[in-house]
Amino acid sequence: MAYQVDMRDVKFQLFEWLPTEKLLQTERFSQWAKGDLEMVLEEAYKLAAEVLAPTNKEGDRVGARFVDGKVVMPPSFREAYQKLCEGGWISCINSPEFGGMGLPEVVGTAINEFFFGANISLALTALLSRGAGYLIEKFGSDEMRKLFVEKMYSGQWGGTMCLTEPQAGSDVGASKTRAVKQENGRYLISGEKIFITSGDQDLTENIIHLVLARTPGAPAGTAGLSLFVVPKIRVNADGSLGQPNDVQTAGIEHKLGIHGSPTCSLVFGPNNACEGFLLGEELQGMKLMFHMMNPARIEVGLQGEALASAALQEAWQYAKVRLQGRHWTRLKDHDAPQVPIIEHPDVRRMLFTSYAYVQAMRALLMQTSYYIDMTRVTEGEEQERYQSYVEVLTPICKAWASDWGFRVTEWCLQVFGGYGYTQEYPAEQYLRDAKIASIYEGTNGIQALDLVARKLPAKNGKPIRELLGQAEATFKKLRNDPQFMEPAWMLGAALKQIEDISKGLTKRPDAVMVVLLNSVPFLDMIGDVLGAHFLLEQAALAREKLWALCQEAGVERKDEGAYKQFLADNADAAFYHNKVHAAIHFAYRVLPNVTARAVAIRAGEMGPMEAVL
Amino acid sequence: MRIAVLVTYVPDTASTIKVGPSGKAIDEAGIKWIISPYDEFAVEEAIKLKESKGAEVTYITYGPERDQQVLRECFARGGDKGVHVVGTGAAFGDAFAIAQILTAAVKKAGPFDLIFAGVKGVGSDQGLVGAMVAELLDIPHVASVTKIEYGEAGITAWREIEGGQEVVEVSLPCVITAQKGLNEPRYPSLKGIMAAKKMPVESVKVADLGLDEAALGGATCRWVSLALPPAKSAGKIIHGEQDPQAAARELARLLREEAKVI
Ligand SMILES: Cc1cc2nc3c(=O)[nH]c(=O)nc-3n(C[C@H](O)[C@H](O)[C@H](O)COP(=O)(O)OP(=O)(O)OC[C@H]3O[C@@H](n4cnc5c(N)ncnc54)[C@H](O)[C@@H]3O)c2cc1C
Ligand SMILES: Cc1cc2nc3c(=O)[nH]c(=O)nc-3n(C[C@H](O)[C@H](O)[C@H](O)COP(=O)(O)OP(=O)(O)OC[C@H]3O[C@@H](n4cnc5c(N)ncnc54)[C@H](O)[C@@H]3O)c2cc1C
Repeated sequence: MAYQVDMRDVKFQLFEWLPTEKLLQTERFSQWAKGDLEMVLEEAYKLAAEVLAPTNKEGDRVGARFVDGKVVMPPSFREAYQKLCEGGWISCINSPEFGGMGLPEVVGTAINEFFFGANISLALTALLSRGAGYLIEKFGSDEMRKLFVEKMYSGQWGGTMCLTEPQAGSDVGASKTRAVKQENGRYLISGEKIFITSGDQDLTENIIHLVLARTPGAPAGTAGLSLFVVPKIRVNADGSLGQPNDVQTAGIEHKLGIHGSPTCSLVFGPNNACEGFLLGEELQGMKLMFHMMNPARIEVGLQGEALASAALQEAWQYAKVRLQGRHWTRLKDHDAPQVPIIEHPDVRRMLFTSYAYVQAMRALLMQTSYYIDMTRVTEGEEQERYQSYVEVLTPICKAWASDWGFRVTEWCLQVFGGYGYTQEYPAEQYLRDAKIASIYEGTNGIQALDLVARKLPAKNGKPIRELLGQAEATFKKLRNDPQFMEPAWMLGAALKQIEDISKGLTKRPDAVMVVLLNSVPFLDMIGDVLGAHFLLEQAALAREKLWALCQEAGVERKDEGAYKQFLADNADAAFYHNKVHAAIHFAYRVLPNVTARAVAIRAGEMGPMEAVL
Repeated sequence: MRIAVLVTYVPDTASTIKVGPSGKAIDEAGIKWIISPYDEFAVEEAIKLKESKGAEVTYITYGPERDQQVLRECFARGGDKGVHVVGTGAAFGDAFAIAQILTAAVKKAGPFDLIFAGVKGVGSDQGLVGAMVAELLDIPHVASVTKIEYGEAGITAWREIEGGQEVVEVSLPCVITAQKGLNEPRYPSLKGIMAAKKMPVESVKVADLGLDEAALGGATCRWVSLALPPAKSAGKIIHGEQDPQAAARELARLLREEAKVI
């Protein structure tokens, strides 16, 4: 089956739920009209489905290979990558000054969902070119910007982020790679980095590595790290390519998924001739790197959502054609024909839970992207407020969407039964590819620590209070609504649990241990609450639109037969109808878990710490 | 060189088609519109020619208000000008009426050295408009073209015929209708999409071309009714576990008497 995206939901979230059109009235985005954005989305989808997706299987089966000291990408990636570059898609959200297209972030998120869902391995190369280019644009000297940025935004040159070393994974501060300043102002880089995505590849003529390294005498830990621009091939002053820069690829990993994305071990300066350029100032490396890592974290969450969405579309189509078992109304009738498995309540449950999660994840990612856009069109206090929202939401986007994205791929594989476990269908590839999102860009454990230790306490907790306050407003708005009353009260109850825990936890004598033990479940609780809030807010809106459609068509909603027929005939009505039910389903199935986890946290259950492990 | 490309908006082949209440047209609710896929080859050929030899490319479409979008989608790939003959619906679906209207538009925007069109509009699949326009303009045409070589005075076109290929030399001006294989249509770039809305589109009414749309529409051809193909009836399974020979006999009988294929 061809790769499919839920364009209807993407457009709903972009244009019906979020005030994206208001963004377009600001000067920054004034060159785009809604009609342009719709065309952009359609063309991005076409490119994803017709060009990227057909190479996804080869990417998995052939994979990136290490041949004679060099990485060879899956052959079909070349043309697909070329088309991504030619269309200007790689830097669709970046600044026009360097060839970017200046689209709003929230639209970029939609586009990148399509690309990640179609072929995450290939789209990763693009993510790194644009991310590394952005860091040089933001902190590089004029000369560096002129030499590198445009070529990285166009995809002509690739990029990487080099943090990890064998002894420095989550603990980035343990990095040993060295950088020694030379008389000409440049630095000699020496050391070994591992797990570097796109550290070598043959899609681009050059690769610009961003390397965290330690200068002589620098303090221990992350405070001692500086950031360097290290080209694979040296670049002459006129922008042409010079000599190789003594960066050696030692090998690539053999791994569970994303086989088309080379995960490289790089040796910098094996011949003591690897030149780097300082970005910003010495000892500022980690701070600068976060300007690449924060957007990348949101994009990694997006990978989880994108693969979940792709897996769901496949499973949904499959469930309509796979005949197995009798209809549940005729279970005892042995002459009853086999029915498509989509008729089975349990299969519907797996599909619809996936559906609700995908839309909740999409909402979280789109909302966060919208706040990023708002930071760019506002000033002063207002801008700070949006920035503070983005900071709190970033680890939630990364961890919540990657964890649940992976689980959705698991449920969708289950819908395929035994066939899902085989390579005949793409379900197992989605599952394998999705797993990485909970690990790289800071494991989800590290994201949760970032949330509880840094982001929640920020500004005395004001940003998180305001964000949860929006969920509270949804609760208040819907608590007397006959259809949404119970889900709304469950949301209210879940919010109360989070509030109680936030207030109570720090007062305990064993607070540190309890917080560290529960940071991951706590992040999950906040993600669940936000997800339910988004879905309920969207459902209320969808219901208004659904009722208006019924009225317009003269359909009496109480007339069950007529209403069902209307849903069968009118795709928009069916979409809104599903939105309403997705929110209710999510509230009942997910929000009680918030309360359940709160019980464990409040009780101070300590098994993992008491146990002899 | 001046090139015209005749383009049309058609329902996406992936859309679910329903017959509208009149029984003579499709229900347009929920339909996604796309450039007719054969027109994409025509558009690509014109842009390639512009890029290689220099030319001015004008897109011409006839259709309702929403069809201005088809011109934007063409512009996103390249091209210079657009002409939208805004129709009221009277002549939609009537190939000869459409050809007369487009011919008038071509004359008004012309003269052109070369006119490209798709071999047919996906959906109605009549394959008439391009040839009719050539006839009305009294210039030669080559239909269903899969390859073109451009010479000094004219062009050489390869066209598909039953079981083979025909190579035709033709002088300019002429009409070429594009068949799959002529080229590989490009994907629009973001820059192209952004530039598309700034491209000049001239919007004209049929009356401005000196024609009476209502009188043209249905004069030679009317849509009487539309129907979806009958739903596929369920296949018949002959169980042969117990008695394979009987099952084979039954199969042969059904093939002969019911399916009438042997
Ligand atoms: C396919 C792939 C691509 C990658 N791409 C890149 C790249 O492009 N650039 C780059 O620099 N790196 C990259 N990485 C590295 C990646 O970011 C690290 O693997 C990740 O940060 C975890 O480090 P580690 O593997 O050493 O695991 P460890 O740090 O050993 O972690 C193991 C487990 O311990 C937990 N843990 C560790 N420390 C703590 C702590 N203090 N508190 C609580 N729990 C803790 C972790 O959460 C994890 O569950 C990539 C990795 C992979 C697999
Ligand atoms: C690695 C592997 C090893 C295997 N080994 C053996 C073996 O040694 N011997 C052997 O005989 N078989 C074996 N199988 C087959 C395995 O038992 C079947 O794949 C399994 O029973 C599911 O059947 P299915 O694949 O046809 O999925 P389906 O039956 O098509 O199921 C698809 C989905 O629909 C659901 N579903 C189907 N019917 C209903 C219903 N009535 N109500 C609700 N939900 C329903 C399922 O739960 C599933 O989620 C193996 C399969 C694999 C992948």
